[in-house]
Amino acid sequence: MINFDKVFKRYPGNMDALQNINLEILPAELVFVTGPSGAGKSTLLKLISSVERPTSGTIVFENMNLSQLKSKDIPYLRRNFGMIFQDHKLLYDRNCFENVSLPLAINDIGGMNINRRVRAALDKVGLLNKEKIMPISLSGGEQQRLAIARAIVSRPSILIADEPTGNLDREYADEIMNIFYSFQQVGVTVIISTHELPITPIKHKKVHLISGRLEGQADYVQLPS
Amino acid sequence: MFNYLHNHFQAFNRAMVRIFSNISSSLMMFIVIGVTLFLPSSGLLIVENVSQISNNIAYDAELSLFLKKNIKQDQIDFIQSALSKTSIIKKIHFESKLTAWDKLQSKLNLNPLDTGMSENPLPDAFFISLNTFDEKAINVLIDNLKTIDGVEDIFFDAGWVKKLRSILYLIKIGLSFLGIILIIVLIVVIGNTIRLQTLTHKDEIEVSKLIGATNSFIQRPFIYTGLIYGLGGGFMAVLTLKLSIEIFNKASINLEAMLGGTFILKNLIWQQNITIIIVAMLIGCFASFFAARQSIKKFEIFN
Repeated sequence: MINFDKVFKRYPGNMDALQNINLEILPAELVFVTGPSGAGKSTLLKLISSVERPTSGTIVFENMNLSQLKSKDIPYLRRNFGMIFQDHKLLYDRNCFENVSLPLAINDIGGMNINRRVRAALDKVGLLNKEKIMPISLSGGEQQRLAIARAIVSRPSILIADEPTGNLDREYADEIMNIFYSFQQVGVTVIISTHELPITPIKHKKVHLISGRLEGQADYVQLPS
Repeated sequence: MFNYLHNHFQAFNRAMVRIFSNISSSLMMFIVIGVTLFLPSSGLLIVENVSQISNNIAYDAELSLFLKKNIKQDQIDFIQSALSKTSIIKKIHFESKLTAWDKLQSKLNLNPLDTGMSENPLPDAFFISLNTFDEKAINVLIDNLKTIDGVEDIFFDAGWVKKLRSILYLIKIGLSFLGIILIIVLIVVIGNTIRLQTLTHKDEIEVSKLIGATNSFIQRPFIYTGLIYGLGGGFMAVLTLKLSIEIFNKASINLEAMLGGTFILKNLIWQQNITIIIVAMLIGCFASFFAARQSIKKFEIFN
């Protein structure tokens, strides 16, 4: 589904964020990208969503070479992804319903479909009763769930989450992770960057980065302790 | 197609929300556009009105041909026949010195004894209406008429009309330049307002880009905002223009007795009103399109 082949990313100032990354992500896989701060986790996710371009090497997503993607095609690529950020990136002048409906408007989906799909997405994350509420009134965990609802509403094939539980308490973090697992179970590829690998009851892949290098890549089935 | 229109409706809706959420600055923008468009529009309206009057005057212009005092009747007949054969002459009116003298006396209520004049001082005259304003043709005619025996003097009465027309033409050019400059000013003002709005909605733009919005999708509400600014400003310009005409005409009628005449400005016809509004909307659309495009490009999240 996604293939990294000898990918390097160098930021201005000769700072190597990623070095010689070779990685394959399969459909419906749950992937944890782990490593300390500055290891290149976010850069890896940014390369997948074409927020950044690699300095060298190739990234292929469903036969599309992302390294050579034209700027005008990038928005259409991103519509394949549901993106979740540590700081939620919600629009605080719009209510929950309007926040979640934004990707549908972008995807030219209109009319009754919007209402049905937004309500379904909000229901999945347990926020159906808060559709008219402004995001600022929600707790941190609820805001992240709202961000997940926005990410899943257009039914993307891949969910990309950059430190989605970084700002949350343990209880909320587990809640969010369980939502991700439920999507992986129905065939969505889920890529999550995190400092620490959470205790995960399902099969997953761990991609460990240190100083921009891939230090380990392995499949695990981790059972709850 | 339905979804496309729905999205446009949503963008329009968002633009309306932005305008109403900041109603005071939106009203200011309407006034700025209205007043800026009012200036050249009112100038052109006045020039148009004066032009129409000058056109009417032009049709009444005459060439006055005064004959020598001792001219004989057969010479007058000869001149009349020569004039009637000239193609650029539309109408000839002969006024004998006796008729002219009688008219003058009755108009000024004069008694010959009071004036102390023993004889009629006025000459016989032809008053000629021309069917052209071609300066060359008129000068040739005047030169030819001067060579005829018995012709004392010739006056071309429409000279001032030509001068007025020239002045109006220059004013029109000046107003057109002013209009162009003011349109540029409007583009800059609207563009800058839209640019500031893009900065206010920076987060929204960045999030939209991250979840797959094209630049044209992001631009849409800003373009509608510019369009609505233009619509409001256009209406403001038309209303101000109508109000000014009403006030001017009312004042003109009130001063009729004092000035001995009135100068009534003709109101704009509906096509002209629509034109002003459409021009304002196009300016708003154009300015917001380029300002939003430039600004949104700067928010490119690539490194």
